[in-house]
Amino acid sequence: MTTNDTQKQSTRQWMLPGFAVAIGIAYLIAGLVGDEVGFGLFGLALMVTVAVALLLVRRRSETVQGLLDRRDERIVQIDVKATAFAGSVVTAAVLIAFIVEIARGNDGSPYAALGAIGGLAYLASVVWHRVRG
Amino acid sequence: MRNRVRTLRQKRGMSQAALGAALGVSRQTINSIETGRYLPSLPLALAIAHHFELIVEEIFDDDE
Repeated sequence: MTTNDTQKQSTRQWMLPGFAVAIGIAYLIAGLVGDEVGFGLFGLALMVTVAVALLLVRRRSETVQGLLDRRDERIVQIDVKATAFAGSVVTAAVLIAFIVEIARGNDGSPYAALGAIGGLAYLASVVWHRVRG
Repeated sequence: MRNRVRTLRQKRGMSQAALGAALGVSRQTINSIETGRYLPSLPLALAIAHHFELIVEEIFDDDE
């Protein structure tokens, strides 16, 4: 492994915990702006706890380590499959919620917009990966 | 797809963790390859072959 690879791996390990903390900060800002300070503080504490837990568990779990540093191709494949499955579940939930909202006589929002975003994201991803080969 | 990874590893007295570390993958992945539950990518298959100083066909065998 080259020094560059080691640096990349080290950087990658911090991406997911860093993302969790960033989401926590977003919760805090949203809470402060919306005058829900308790929610904001709880959200930040929760996401910082998630980040710390990830960093601690990676020492004991090869799977968590692999999800963080993304070196192991099998664990990366597992992550891709799990992400696709989770996306499918969310898509199904959005479609069901949209249908229920229509059946209740509502306009289907916000589920119509969420479904459209999901569909467009899928199409964009197919085109992107098709072009990249 | 059968492979000789376990035999080759044991012949060299290596643990799954040590082979995984040498190849940049986890012990679990080495175990999955050895038991045939996971088929490695071409780069990883080549890395395994290179590690054992063999060619891919000497390690992986299409049994169909």
